Amino acid sequence: MSNSGSISFVLDGELKKLSFNSETGIKPTTTVLNYLRSLDNHKGVKEGCAEGDCGACTVVIASPGSDGGLVYNAVDSCLVFLPAIHGKQVITVENLKHREKGISHLHPVQEKMVTNNGSQCGYCTPGIVMSLFALYKNHHQPSREIILDALTGNLCRCTGYQPIVNAAEQACQFQGKDHFTPSEHQVYNQLQALGKKQTDIILEGKGQQYFLPAALESALSIRELYPDAVITCGATDVALRQTKKMEHLPLILDVSAIRELKVYHETDKDITFGAGLSLEAIKSLSKGSLQALFNMLVVFGSLQIRNMATLGGNIASASPIGDTLPLLFVYGAVVNLAASGGRERSVPVEQFIKGYRQTDLKPGEIITSVTIPKPPSKIHIESYKVSRRKDLDISTVSAAFALQLDDENRVKQVSIVYGGMAARTQRAAAVEAFLQRKPWQYDVVKQAMEQVEQEFTPLSDARSDKEARKIAASNLLLKFYQQTCPR
Amino acid sequence: MSELYHDSAIKHVTGESVYVNDLDGGRRELAGHVVYSPHGHARILSMDISGARALDGVKAVITASDIPGVNQMGPVVHDELCLAEDIVDFAGQAVVLIAAESKDIAREAARLVKVEYETLPPVLTIEDAMEKDLLLGTPREIKRGDVDKGLDDAPYRISGTLQTGAQEHWYLETQSCLCIPGEDQEMNVYSSTQHPTETQAIVAEVLGVARNEVVVETRRMGGGFGGKETQANHVAAWAALLAFHTSSPVKIHLFRDDDQIMTGKRHPFKAFYEAGFDEQGRIMAYKVHLHSNAGAATDLSMAILERAVFHADNAYFIPHISVCGKAWKTNLPSNTAFRGFGGPQGMAVIENLIDRIARQLKMDSAEVRYRNFYREQENNTTHYGQLVDNNRLFVLYDKLIQSSDYTKRRHQVNVFNQKNSYVKRGLALTPVKFGISFTTSFLNQAGALVNIYQDGTVLVNHGGTEMGQGLHTKILEVACSELGLPATKIKVNATNTSKVPNTSPTAASSGSDLNGMAVKNAIHKLKKRLTPVAVKMLTEQYPDFEIREENIAFREGYVFDKNFPSRGVSFNVLIPKAYQQQVSLSATGFYKTPGIYFDKSKGKGKPFYYFAFGMAVAEVEVDLLTGHYKNTRTDILHDAGRSLNRNVDMGQVEGGFIQGVGWCTTEVIKWNDKGNILNYSPDNYKIPSVQDIPDDFRVSLLEGVPNPNTIKQSKAVGEPPFMLALSVWLAVKDAISAMGNHAIEPDFALPASNELILKSARKITEKLSVYEK
Repeated sequence: MSNSGSISFVLDGELKKLSFNSETGIKPTTTVLNYLRSLDNHKGVKEGCAEGDCGACTVVIASPGSDGGLVYNAVDSCLVFLPAIHGKQVITVENLKHREKGISHLHPVQEKMVTNNGSQCGYCTPGIVMSLFALYKNHHQPSREIILDALTGNLCRCTGYQPIVNAAEQACQFQGKDHFTPSEHQVYNQLQALGKKQTDIILEGKGQQYFLPAALESALSIRELYPDAVITCGATDVALRQTKKMEHLPLILDVSAIRELKVYHETDKDITFGAGLSLEAIKSLSKGSLQALFNMLVVFGSLQIRNMATLGGNIASASPIGDTLPLLFVYGAVVNLAASGGRERSVPVEQFIKGYRQTDLKPGEIITSVTIPKPPSKIHIESYKVSRRKDLDISTVSAAFALQLDDENRVKQVSIVYGGMAARTQRAAAVEAFLQRKPWQYDVVKQAMEQVEQEFTPLSDARSDKEARKIAASNLLLKFYQQTCPR
Repeated sequence: MSELYHDSAIKHVTGESVYVNDLDGGRRELAGHVVYSPHGHARILSMDISGARALDGVKAVITASDIPGVNQMGPVVHDELCLAEDIVDFAGQAVVLIAAESKDIAREAARLVKVEYETLPPVLTIEDAMEKDLLLGTPREIKRGDVDKGLDDAPYRISGTLQTGAQEHWYLETQSCLCIPGEDQEMNVYSSTQHPTETQAIVAEVLGVARNEVVVETRRMGGGFGGKETQANHVAAWAALLAFHTSSPVKIHLFRDDDQIMTGKRHPFKAFYEAGFDEQGRIMAYKVHLHSNAGAATDLSMAILERAVFHADNAYFIPHISVCGKAWKTNLPSNTAFRGFGGPQGMAVIENLIDRIARQLKMDSAEVRYRNFYREQENNTTHYGQLVDNNRLFVLYDKLIQSSDYTKRRHQVNVFNQKNSYVKRGLALTPVKFGISFTTSFLNQAGALVNIYQDGTVLVNHGGTEMGQGLHTKILEVACSELGLPATKIKVNATNTSKVPNTSPTAASSGSDLNGMAVKNAIHKLKKRLTPVAVKMLTEQYPDFEIREENIAFREGYVFDKNFPSRGVSFNVLIPKAYQQQVSLSATGFYKTPGIYFDKSKGKGKPFYYFAFGMAVAEVEVDLLTGHYKNTRTDILHDAGRSLNRNVDMGQVEGGFIQGVGWCTTEVIKWNDKGNILNYSPDNYKIPSVQDIPDDFRVSLLEGVPNPNTIKQSKAVGEPPFMLALSVWLAVKDAISAMGNHAIEPDFALPASNELILKSARKITEKLSVYEK
């Protein structure tokens, strides 16, 4: 394994090399936000919350795509550790304006923000501009739905957003062409060259060792050697341990550079998603074939979060809420694990989740992928999320249902799983048993609703009190009934 | 002249605008950090800061006993300690300050601070405070007529309670300050404050120095909304103390969670009301007690309570009325100013009352509102005796009912609701009448300093601060039109207490009213001095024409006699000439609002210079099974007088409204029984996102309504639109109510959160099933 001790990336149009050693004294898990703000010319990048909920720190990361061009992704730089930008281009608000023949020109997204009065206090504006920039590069004349989705991760307390939406509509009219376009090919080549080296990287600094392996095999041997290393991929959850809980993480195993974890494989029966695929990628891939998963991912976090967060991470964090977990339970999804020496095993997600933030991940193992069976058309699967704010909010209660009726509209098979109702994602076993073979009709569902409220004793917390949680949980069953009842 | 965009818009979108945390305090700049109480109420038994002091890179660790001046930072009443002494009164109260070479070191040092507490029982709610008789200040009471008799005489009577919730300001830029010590006892304070003069005073007091040693400068804030009216003083005082002790520049930029934990919110209120009304829905008598949760110190609670009492009527004439307000002391961070300043809390009660009256009488609530509006010729004085002058309620109502297609949509909503069991639509119209002026009358003053330099450029200084609301843009607009110069020749400077002293806070929506007039006053003085110079130059240049001083005009960069507009002298030429003739090119300006007064003992007077009006119609769709709602359409018509700048004013209306929608729906703050806030980060404190704006958002300013006697006949617009969001709140209620076919009064409070909707709808379902049985 090679030990380069440095990462390389493109910033301000130049290839930059950043070394991690006792001299530079940079902690590998320094966030991209803090790194940028430590430079003299990137103070435009703002910290609003340090947890990926406000988007003031949004920057765009460009990486080489499969079609020979660059892929532009907006991310919350407060949640991105420096090593994650290795082999990529970082674009910040300072890079959007350009000078031509001695005259400075605003980027179309900047210009439309000005002429639509899209800024008031200006503090969220650099982040908003960068989300608009990513939208500009990725969409020509986007729909309102796409615009709103691109801006969901950017909070603004002044404008009421309408002028920003208007700016987005007016700006994205040029097929993504701008002053970056002429140099895109050159940047692509630079990044490709970095990517080709495909070496494992070890970074050290400030009492931290950071492993960024390029292949699964090396990752597995690091995992075996350092069982206490915190595994991270998109870091949207792990980063919070540092930014919010001020934890020192001495050992990090970052699996984000491993190609084997980005697989996508579809058969007649099932779909396998690599554990390192971003949720945004899974969102696009699941549309149609796993519609309930798609629907859930639409209201999962923000685009910035989905661009980084992974399915593997969502499962491994085993959060009691874990928005995707109830759905993965009812789909009968399976976690595929690997350990060094070619050892592999597969466990149903439902068995993999052991308790509050506890999983069945064994020492030496890494989640490599998740396989989700395609539900036959006679099985109706839905998932719902109840949250205080509909978008970019963690659910108060989430639920997933799978139902198969027999020819007489009786319940042949039903699966009911809740998140946010117990210390872990939990199946409503008694309710399922009650419904078995019963006619799928209103009065039966009414009784089942009462059972839901008896089966769970949820907590009262910052998001909701327990009474409202119970009501929400039983209501969701009724909602499912509304959508599936024979008419 | 076409209207200007925000004067910082280009800097905003390029990331070039500078905020306090972007300032470079130099090589020796230290990071300041605040260690605060984790307990809502506790006695400090012991404190050990030796470990923190010994840490490498730590430059100072200080406690209350290290304060050279007064340990106080209460803005109106001195009841707020800068650093806790024996007792901590709320979770988040500052106890120890640390300055270190980096934020990380400061945080590490904070972990080494050992404070031993003995916890005491906290008082957290209004009810608890009432029980323990923890009244703050003197109750505020305003009455007219005989309310008890009015209630007895009324054919119908309703009584109830209404709870309104706290709201976190959630300015994107958290509280920040950089203090740089100078020579002697000087302290240069770069603060994100709405009230530089008070920040100067508090810093001087804690340092024990005269105010002429302290200079406060505010370039811009990344949002204020009232949250930096008094509470920016705290961070400034702490940074100044650390800068004093280390003789180094010290910057404090609060971490988001700390900001949410340490600072005060919008006051939660609890109202008890009783009303009598006739079969037409006209309110004959209204008796209301408004109780506010002030938190641990007075701060601005009494003025906020006063404004709630003044706005208990909102837009409605009530012959017999009694409004009583009481503020209660609790173990929460001292609640503070927030856009609307008590107005929203006062108005919510009567708007909910009218909604109830309409439901009981089975009438349309907009119609009931209309019947209760202040009239133009009679029934036109408020409970505190002020004439409701230039009443815009009827013109707003007529236009909005039309433009929003209210009647047709009411019908469509009803049809939709008949067809759908669990998804219901709601519609509501609400008005706003908001009094403009500080109710503390002497605050209605402003100063300015306008300098003209020899190259013909102008630097405008005034006492107002820029927090995003576009004040500097409006001031620039005023200066441009008064001097007849393009915006490129005029710069509005950062607010600085050494340029314009003794200013009032930028608050009460008064920024442009007051400072615009002060700037105009300064420019008038300058023009008066420049006029004779111009007359002389013009006479010399055009000896055949009779140039008169009274005809001199300043326009488009030229100065000329109005009768001979083609023969002018360029401003750029005039200015050096004036300088050579020893004419002063710098002038101060001053303004005080005329004719406002209020007799607190009688509860009568004219506390407001004028009223701002607005109206909104909101339609929502509520999923009663999930508690989610969607704002499908909102129509707003707002009165901004003759708008000073439409770009800015439209932004205030839309932005204020959406901020109000947050208060009315998703923004919930809870505390545990120990007084710790549970919703202390955006993870679980939810302000509106782009997805929460109306699908169809139609906002207009009322045209052709110049406001007499204000700067360029404009109206203040900062706060009033906030309260238009009550339309969304009541539209949600209307949707819940549809579940019981409007026959059952829904359980309701503010915010109409997801939890509230779920519970309220469930209760109606239960009542309905009882009826079914």
